[in-house]
Amino acid sequence: MNYFPDEVVEHVFDFVTSHKDRNAISLVCKSWYKIERYSRQKVFIGNCYATNPERLLRRFPCLKSLTLKGKPHFADFNLVPHEWGGFVLPWIEALARSRVGLEELRLKRMVVTDESLELLSRSFVNFKSLVLVSCEGFTTDGLASIAANCRHLRDLDLQENEIDDHRGQWLSCFPDTCTTLVTLNFACLEGETNLVALERLVARSPNLKSLKLNRAVPLDALARLMSCAPQMVDLGVGSYENDPDSESYLKLQAAIKKCTLLRSLSGFLEAAPHCLSAFHPICHNLTSLNLSYAAEIHGSHLIKLIQHCKKLQRLWILDSIGDKGLEVVASTCKELQELRVFPSDLLGGGNTAVTEEGLVAISAGCPKLHSILYFCQQMTNAALVTVAKNCPNFIRFRLCILEPNKPDHVTSQPLDEGFGAIVKACKSLRRLSLSGLLTDQVFLYIGMYANQLEMLSIAFAGDTDKGMLYVLNGCKKMKKLEIRDSPFGDTALLADVSKYETMRSLWMSSCEVTLSGCKGLAEKAPWLNVEIINETDNNRMEENGHEGRQKVDKLYLYRTVVGTRMDAPPFVWIL
Amino acid sequence: MEKEGLGLEITELRLGLPGRDVAEKMMKKRAFTEMIMTSSGSNSDQCESGVVSSGGDVEKVNDSPAAKSQVVGWPPVCSYRRKNSCKDASTTKVGLGYVKVSMDGVPYLRKMDLGSSQGYDDLAFALDKLFGIRGIGVALKDGDNCEYVTIYEDKDGDWMLAGDVPWGMFIESCKRLRIMKRSDATGFGLQPRGVDE
Repeated sequence: MNYFPDEVVEHVFDFVTSHKDRNAISLVCKSWYKIERYSRQKVFIGNCYATNPERLLRRFPCLKSLTLKGKPHFADFNLVPHEWGGFVLPWIEALARSRVGLEELRLKRMVVTDESLELLSRSFVNFKSLVLVSCEGFTTDGLASIAANCRHLRDLDLQENEIDDHRGQWLSCFPDTCTTLVTLNFACLEGETNLVALERLVARSPNLKSLKLNRAVPLDALARLMSCAPQMVDLGVGSYENDPDSESYLKLQAAIKKCTLLRSLSGFLEAAPHCLSAFHPICHNLTSLNLSYAAEIHGSHLIKLIQHCKKLQRLWILDSIGDKGLEVVASTCKELQELRVFPSDLLGGGNTAVTEEGLVAISAGCPKLHSILYFCQQMTNAALVTVAKNCPNFIRFRLCILEPNKPDHVTSQPLDEGFGAIVKACKSLRRLSLSGLLTDQVFLYIGMYANQLEMLSIAFAGDTDKGMLYVLNGCKKMKKLEIRDSPFGDTALLADVSKYETMRSLWMSSCEVTLSGCKGLAEKAPWLNVEIINETDNNRMEENGHEGRQKVDKLYLYRTVVGTRMDAPPFVWIL
Repeated sequence: MEKEGLGLEITELRLGLPGRDVAEKMMKKRAFTEMIMTSSGSNSDQCESGVVSSGGDVEKVNDSPAAKSQVVGWPPVCSYRRKNSCKDASTTKVGLGYVKVSMDGVPYLRKMDLGSSQGYDDLAFALDKLFGIRGIGVALKDGDNCEYVTIYEDKDGDWMLAGDVPWGMFIESCKRLRIMKRSDATGFGLQPRGVDE
C-alpha cells in the first residue's frame, strides 16, 4: 500500500467505518496514521476525561461527528453524585472556537446546560444531529435554541434524560422552513406539549421516520399525527387516554392501518390495555417492540399483541408477562435477537412472575438470541447450563436475580457452575452481569473462558481477592470492570498496575480497598486518574490516625493522557 | 434480639451484604414499608433518593408486600426507569392510592382509592357515589356550570384545581381531595375549561 498515492489509500480507508478498525489502521505506520487522522469524520470518546478537546482537534481536524460519554455506568443507579462531572460545555466551546464543521453530537451520561445547547445551535452551520442519552442539566429552553437555530436539523433524539420542562413553546421554535426532520424523540419530557405546533411540524416533515411522543400527547392527537405521517418507521406512543371515545379509537385504527412502514413501537406510558388491539394490523411487520414502561398492561393483552409479532427481533418488556408469556414469545418470535425483561415491581410484593423457566423457554425457542437482560426472582445452575447449550451465541448476557446472594433455589448451591457454563459456551461474549450467590470459583471460570469479555458487572459476589485477580489476569480484552459490595481489596487492586492501561476504567464501591492502597496505586501509575468519591465526611479521612487503613467507599479509576481533571467537585479526591 | 419494636434500626441504611438475618430483616422491613406507604412523601421521591426497597424475599405477609433489603442502587434499574415505574406502582397498588376526600358542609371525611379510577370522568363518577350527591363530578369537566369545585393537595402542599394535568400526573401527585363550594372559590379567577392547547 505504500506505493499508492495518499488519495488512493484514503479512499480505501473510507470503507472502514468502525472506530476500532480505524484506530487499528492508524497504528500501522506513520503514513497511515497521518492519512487516517485527516480523513476521520466520526470520533468516539468512551470517557470524556481520557483526553481533552484540544488533543481531539489537533488529531482530527476534519471531524464531523463526536460521541462522548461522561459518568461511569453505575451513575445510572444513583451511585455517583450528580455534581461529579462530565460537563460538555468545554467541549462545545473548544469545537466552536476551532470552527470545525460539526454535524453530529452524541452524548451519554453527561451534564448538558442550556448555555451549551445555545452555543451548539449557533456555532455549527451544518449541524444535523443531536442525540442525548441519560443526560441532565438542561431545560426545554435549551431545546428551543436547537429548534430555532439549527436550520438543517435532522435528528433530535432525547433518550431517558432528566430535563427540566419549563412548559414553554420549544416545539413552536422550529421555523416553518424546517422540513428536514427525520428523528424527533421527546418521550422523556414531563410537561405539556403544544399539540398544534407538533402537528404542524410533523405535517411539514416528509422525511420524519422516528417520532417518540411524551405522556402529554393524548390518543386523538396521536391519530392525527399518524395520519399525516404514514411514512413512520419508529413510533413512540405517549399516553393512551383511558376509555377513549369510540370515534377517536376508530380514527386511530384507520391511521395505524396506513402506516405500512412501521417497524418499531414503544412508549405506552399510560395505556389503556384494550387500545393495544388497534395496533394488531401492523404487528406482523414489527421488528422492535418496547413495552417496558407500560406497567398498566397486563399479561393477557401483552400476549395477544405479541402473538401477532412474528418478525420481532428486539423485545423490551416487563416481567408481568410471566413465564407463560415468555413461552408465547419463544414460540412466536423466532427472529428474536435481543430480549430485556424488566422488573415491574420495584417496591416489593414478591409477585413478579418470571423465573428460570421463562429464560430456558426463550433460549430454546429463539436460536438467534444474542443479547439478554433478565430480571428475575430465582435461578438454577441447571437452567443456566441449558441456556448455554441452547444459545452459544450470546454477546451480552445480563442476569439480575433481584435478591442479592440468592443461591440456586433448588440445590442451594452458588451459581458458579451456571455462569461458568455460559462463559464457556459463549465464545463471543462481550458483556456479562452477574448476580445471585457466587464464590471465587465463578471468577476462575470467567478468567479462563471469557476471552472476548469487555465489560463485567459484579455485585455482592466473591469471597477473596483471588476472585478479582482471576478476572484481571484472565480477561485480556477487559475494558470496563465495575464492582460493588464485594470483598476485593488492595491485594487485587495493586497486583498488576499495568493492566489498567489496557482498560478504560475500573469502579469499586463498598469493597475492601483502602485509602493507602489507592494512594499506592496512584503513585505507581501517574497515567491513571484515581478518584475517591467520598460524600459523607471529607475531613474524617484526613484526621483519622489510621487513615491509611480506612476503607474507601467509592473508587473510580481510568486511564487518561491529560492528567488530573480540573473540574472535580470537593467530594472527589483525585490522588 | 432486635425483632421487637419499631426502633430506629428500621431506618438503618445498610450497605452490607443483605439477605443475611432474613427473619430479623423481614420484621424490620415490613414496618419500614408500612412507613413508606403511610407517609406523606410520595413513593417516587423515595425512589429518586436511591433508597429503594429492592427485589428479594418472596414471602408475603398479609397484604403488605414483602419488603426488601434497603440497598442503594439495587436492583440495578436506571433512575429514569425507576421514576417512571414508581409512578405506576404507586397508582396501581391498592393501599397506595387511598386519599382523604373532604367535602364542604359534610362533617366527616371519606377515603377513596385513586388507583381504582381510570381517569377524570371515572373520578367524577366515584366522587358522586361517595357523597351521594349528583353534580360533583361535573365540576371536574365543566368548570362553569356546577355548584362545586374539586381541588387537590399536591406533593408540594399546594392546592390545585383538579383537571389541568394528565391523569397519570394527577394521581402521582395528589395527596388529598377537597370538594369546595364554588361560591367559596369566587374571586380566585377560575377560568372556564376549554382553554387548552
